[in-house]
Amino acid sequence: MIPIWIYAGKKLSTLGSRKVPFLALAAAFAFVIMMFNLPVPGGSTGHAVGGAIIGIVLGPWAAVITISVALALQALMFGDGGITTYATNCFNMAVLIPFIGYYAYNFISGKTEITSSRRVIAAAIAGWVSLTAAATWAGFILGLQFILYKDANGLPLYMPYPLSVTVPAMFLEHAFAFSFLEALVTGLIFAYLQRTDPSLFYGEKSESKKSKTKKAAPV
Amino acid sequence: MKEVDIGIGPCKCSAVHRGKKSFIGKTIDGIIFFMQDAFVTESFSRRRGLLQSLDPRAKLISILALIVATSTVGNLRILVFAYLFFLLVAFLSKIEIGFFIKRVWLFIPIFSGFLVLPLVFNVFFPGDPLIQLIHLGPGAHLGPIPLPESIYITKQGVNAATIFMMRVATCVSAIVLLFLTTPQQMLFKSLRSVGIPKLYVLTLSMAYRYIFVLTELVSEMYVAKKARTIKARGMFDEQKWVGGRIGYTLIRSLDMSEKVHMAMMSRGYNGEVRIIQEFKMRNRDYVAGAIAISMSVVLVLISQNIIRV
Repeated sequence: MIPIWIYAGKKLSTLGSRKVPFLALAAAFAFVIMMFNLPVPGGSTGHAVGGAIIGIVLGPWAAVITISVALALQALMFGDGGITTYATNCFNMAVLIPFIGYYAYNFISGKTEITSSRRVIAAAIAGWVSLTAAATWAGFILGLQFILYKDANGLPLYMPYPLSVTVPAMFLEHAFAFSFLEALVTGLIFAYLQRTDPSLFYGEKSESKKSKTKKAAPV
Repeated sequence: MKEVDIGIGPCKCSAVHRGKKSFIGKTIDGIIFFMQDAFVTESFSRRRGLLQSLDPRAKLISILALIVATSTVGNLRILVFAYLFFLLVAFLSKIEIGFFIKRVWLFIPIFSGFLVLPLVFNVFFPGDPLIQLIHLGPGAHLGPIPLPESIYITKQGVNAATIFMMRVATCVSAIVLLFLTTPQQMLFKSLRSVGIPKLYVLTLSMAYRYIFVLTELVSEMYVAKKARTIKARGMFDEQKWVGGRIGYTLIRSLDMSEKVHMAMMSRGYNGEVRIIQEFKMRNRDYVAGAIAISMSVVLVLISQNIIRV
């Protein structure tokens, strides 16, 4: 994970002195995104992870640092997400989600206009694919722990379930429930940004020249 | 924010409203809870206790060493001992024990508990019976899955689950203790000592500060919506509204980063990060660090069966 962070840091050096405020605000956004509750069928509420949309808008390398910082804050503030598992967590949520999301989105949207509705669908699918893939990977890692760490009696030290349980469990619940919500939210955010400030997406390749016009909508 | 009660600490007391809350109410509650929590946390770091008096770097390294060591332990008695040790340290740091225990155990049953629950039944893992729940008789099955003759809670399962939960609780206690007793800006600065580059130390502390700015933005949006809502619209319309608000927050935060950048530039920032070094290691910091590290080493040795207890 450390080489990825160093490389991501290098990639962002084009930002120059803008780097710190840009990453700080983006990380604050990545943290705050989970505070948005939205209604889901059945009278309950849920919230999004938002990794895919961050990857799409800021570019995957900026997303790596941004989400890592947000995860570090989460780990420190709530003891949530863990310290010893921080690197694994970051790989999963700060690398897999934005990269898969970004490439899925680019692959599906192809060379269409920024304002085309195909891009909304691309963003939604990117949200679904990235979260499902990351969840499956997490299931795989958890299952691997079961194989690697056992005590003398064969009882598991850390993870009580084998691969055959963890992978399907993580895959199924995400593929059919959480990822749909993620897809919906990603699509909706994308549609809003497309309507309000499409200039956000023109500078996809170079975050440095973000000379976007301020067209923020009223609250 | 007015009803902050430092004495009791944060709790989800707002559950007094009967009936289901809308997503708007839940968001506003969540944000108030978050703000209160941050506020209470700040107040602990200003008390004059044991951990508050230590150098943040010594504290950070000690706590990290203890967490790594604890995560290797598989013996319940040692884990209980480590947990009690953290409770004692919390007490000496003038943190109300009740609040501390509640804060640590608030999330554990939800995540870890849910994870290990199936472990205690013999359906998933065979073991010696402890409490028998149902006798099904031979040949019972659930759909295509054959079930054992009777379902019971196994001794080994309970043991493994308890160890798992205790380990999580002990590690979470340690990190909560670190966060409660160190002012945030100090904590971020102290991360330099474990090799985090200056640039990210600054990013981290700025991100922490702007989380509150953005959180307030979000809470204003939801309060404004609540104030104008007479009757809830269709679910998809509401979801669209949330999506739009997230997008708007993203635009606002990028815009804000531009303004913050200009403000920094006009105050002489040129891209090079300078951090005032205001820490000073004293004897007690070395002593505390040495105690914590030797304790971690002992824990690791015990877990590797080199020292027997």
